[in-house]
Amino acid sequence: MGVGLSDEDDRKQFAGIVVPHLSEAFAVASWLTGNRTDAEDVVQEASLRAFRAIGSFAGVNARAWVLTIVRHTAYSWLAKNRPSEVVAVEDFLGGERLTVQCTGGWSATITSTPETALLAKLDVNRLEAAIAALPLAFREVLILRDIQGLEYREIAEVTTLPVGTVMSRLARARRRIIGAVRTDDA
Amino acid sequence: MTNDGTRVPDDDSQLVHAYLDGELDPAHALVIGRKIAASPALAAELEQTRALRQALREHLPRRTLPPHLRSRIEAAVGIKRQPARPSWQALAASIAIAFVLGGGSTWALLRPAAGDRTAAAVLDGHMRGLMAPHPTDIKSSERHTVKPWFNGRIPQAPRVIDLAQEGFPLIGGRLDVVDNTPVPTLVYGRRLHVISLSAIPDESRGGSPAERRSINGYNVVSWRENGVSYWAVSDLGAGELETFAQLFRKAPAG
Repeated sequence: MGVGLSDEDDRKQFAGIVVPHLSEAFAVASWLTGNRTDAEDVVQEASLRAFRAIGSFAGVNARAWVLTIVRHTAYSWLAKNRPSEVVAVEDFLGGERLTVQCTGGWSATITSTPETALLAKLDVNRLEAAIAALPLAFREVLILRDIQGLEYREIAEVTTLPVGTVMSRLARARRRIIGAVRTDDA
Repeated sequence: MTNDGTRVPDDDSQLVHAYLDGELDPAHALVIGRKIAASPALAAELEQTRALRQALREHLPRRTLPPHLRSRIEAAVGIKRQPARPSWQALAASIAIAFVLGGGSTWALLRPAAGDRTAAAVLDGHMRGLMAPHPTDIKSSERHTVKPWFNGRIPQAPRVIDLAQEGFPLIGGRLDVVDNTPVPTLVYGRRLHVISLSAIPDESRGGSPAERRSINGYNVVSWRENGVSYWAVSDLGAGELETFAQLFRKAPAG
């Protein structure tokens, strides 16, 4: 793609701002698209967008800036290639149980609940399948927090959600995974 | 499995997650901590979530950036990579010189140009860190938090040591760029000064004694050991920076 005319400063900026975060960009794109090939397309497209917009980087949090562009690019890609994934979040909120399941003997042995033990020896494939099965709106928050280690306010910046929404979606995403593990084992 | 479905207010249960993630201010953390102690349901949610977080952190294979993708992106925006190491012609020449001069001096002959460039790049990273609101991407004094943060961002996490006892507390870590390659940088404090310590993979074998440079009023101390060259940068006095380097080198592997 033809971006060869841009000047040397932009390249230096790009090397300093975007390149260090390409690994993380690729990890996030992989989780959002569900596979490496699509993630490559998304990261490449996002990188070119970032390069063209390098002058607009405000100089504060390069990582969040890069991930914001990656997420946006991934959403465009999904809307085009898998529109069914990008549906309104409200669809998922309706029937969701907002309570914590609590089995009989837990109060006595809190540190070794069945789920805790299950999670400790959980098969990687099952864990990945549970993450992949999460609706996009929950999956992205879980990935940014629990896999990439972003703080809530950074996730809010990347997703343009209020921090309170980040918190509630994260809690729901985690509960869904724990619930999926429980169901798998039943 | 019998569920009695004990209900707890959803807000509290969400706050358990924020509590676990260290996102609550001290006052709220105190309140929710008490509620957890009093509620088996909240305590169970805390424990399950803690186990889930650990499983996600430890069991999932990393999605690592394919090297060809990075090359493709750099080519697309017109970045030309400088060779990170001497070309093999230079290497061949140096071997010839080494043959004449005897062992030990090869490194000294080759180093200045590459070393000065690295020092300048490491100083750039340090300055960028100082200009940002926080000099770190990951802020933590806990080395078991800082080290895993690097996993998945770079091929190999650096050795992370806390030197708080010795007066150089670990503040956190960040990624810098040297020769177009992301490198891990640990950030330490010394009174009101900040020290950046970059760890750059270096294939040359063996160690080297610490070497001191001064660039624009900043001191740089560098050394090499176990396949890594270390670069410490700070506005601290050269003596103190060398003390820091010695402490880091002497500390048991972390």
